[in-house]
Amino acid sequence: MKLSEQFTKETSGAAIPFIAFCIALNLTVGQVTSALKIPIYLDSIGTVLTAVLVGPLAAATAGALSNLLASAMGSPTMAFFVPVSLVIGLFSGTLARRGWFKQWYLVVLGGALQGVLAAVCSAPISAYLFSGVMMAGTDFLVLYFRSVGNTIMESVFYQGLASDPVDKIITYLIVFLLMRNLPRRLTGRFAGAANIPSRSA
Amino acid sequence: MVPDLRPKLAFVLFLSVCAFAFDWQILLPLIALVLLFPFALPSYHPASDRARHLFFRFILFSIAISGAIIVLNGWILQTGERVEVLPGISLFSDGLLFGVRTAARLLLLSFSVLLFFSSTPIPTCINALQQSGLPRTVVLMLLLTLHFLDSLPERINRIFMAQEARGAPVRAGFISRTKAFFSILSPLLLSSIAESVDRGVALELRGFLLEMAPSAKPELPAQPFSPLTILLLAASFFILVISIARWLLP
Repeated sequence: MKLSEQFTKETSGAAIPFIAFCIALNLTVGQVTSALKIPIYLDSIGTVLTAVLVGPLAAATAGALSNLLASAMGSPTMAFFVPVSLVIGLFSGTLARRGWFKQWYLVVLGGALQGVLAAVCSAPISAYLFSGVMMAGTDFLVLYFRSVGNTIMESVFYQGLASDPVDKIITYLIVFLLMRNLPRRLTGRFAGAANIPSRSA
Repeated sequence: MVPDLRPKLAFVLFLSVCAFAFDWQILLPLIALVLLFPFALPSYHPASDRARHLFFRFILFSIAISGAIIVLNGWILQTGERVEVLPGISLFSDGLLFGVRTAARLLLLSFSVLLFFSSTPIPTCINALQQSGLPRTVVLMLLLTLHFLDSLPERINRIFMAQEARGAPVRAGFISRTKAFFSILSPLLLSSIAESVDRGVALELRGFLLEMAPSAKPELPAQPFSPLTILLLAASFFILVISIARWLLP
């Protein structure tokens, strides 16, 4: 099946408004985490939700559009991380298709793998384009790794390895728990309904 | 008639290329130039009072963050000459220089992207995207995202207050707050999926998902590139090639 055909198949019916909601969720979930003062970002929770319920191409689109809109809304460096969002969307969508979101231990393993992959993809962009400075809290970690003698590339990669797997495991687990508790009559309208875990999982 | 946004986009591209290609001595005058644009050129005036307010607030915020980046780098990266800023507090020249370089790059990138979006109303952007041939599903996705972005904070706030009124520990210890995160996210997701299903049914009933006949597609006149756009694109390309060559060749 051609990519355009698969994208059209994934984005039929309720999928378009749902993807739009997931993009908005990616951009606004920070408000919830900051209101509750919990030290996690969850900026790809909408992308993973799309990956499970809709499909990998739709998730990649959601991730890319999230980054572009975030760039327009005051985080201009986010546009340069579109490739990372594409990888997150495609990888999580592929895992969902293979049934990795049906068992909690596979979800944890998938989140860890996703975190390492995200760190590998984002490190060269962050190091070569921005010298590891992203105007974010993670800059402290990069500075720490640099101050103990690592190069910028190594520091950014270690920072990614320290924070991304934890964030992605939590993101995957949240999506798993949310999906498990959603009523079937609603989720049945999406292309990825078969990827959703049952309540006994 | 949809306004031609290509000169503005080409200008953003030109400034982005400059941000990566040049050192801070050239970037600082460019940053000052970008800050003058909203006052000097009518096409770069902020699109609304809200856009003006947010643009200038972001400028102050990012300048403060840049100052913090410079000081932190000068403090933590302890190589180069020692510079005593206050009695007992010293910064190091290599760290300061690194901080100035990266802060100048980030400031130019931020200001150029925000200058474009603060001076271009969203409907104009959407029209331009449609005219450039972007699929209508993606355009609809973007429009719906803007709708959700507008309504989500209010929904989150409403759920937050409702859960608090029911006695959910949204302001208690860390573990309780983390549990409360689910009690906010679950109803938010449920209501949004229900809304998505309703909107999806409405789209299907209106025939949005049917393949559009070629005769029904609107014929949009192709606009030629303006001389300014061509000049900016050529300058960006030239600077990019020279910088890559300088980076690759010793």
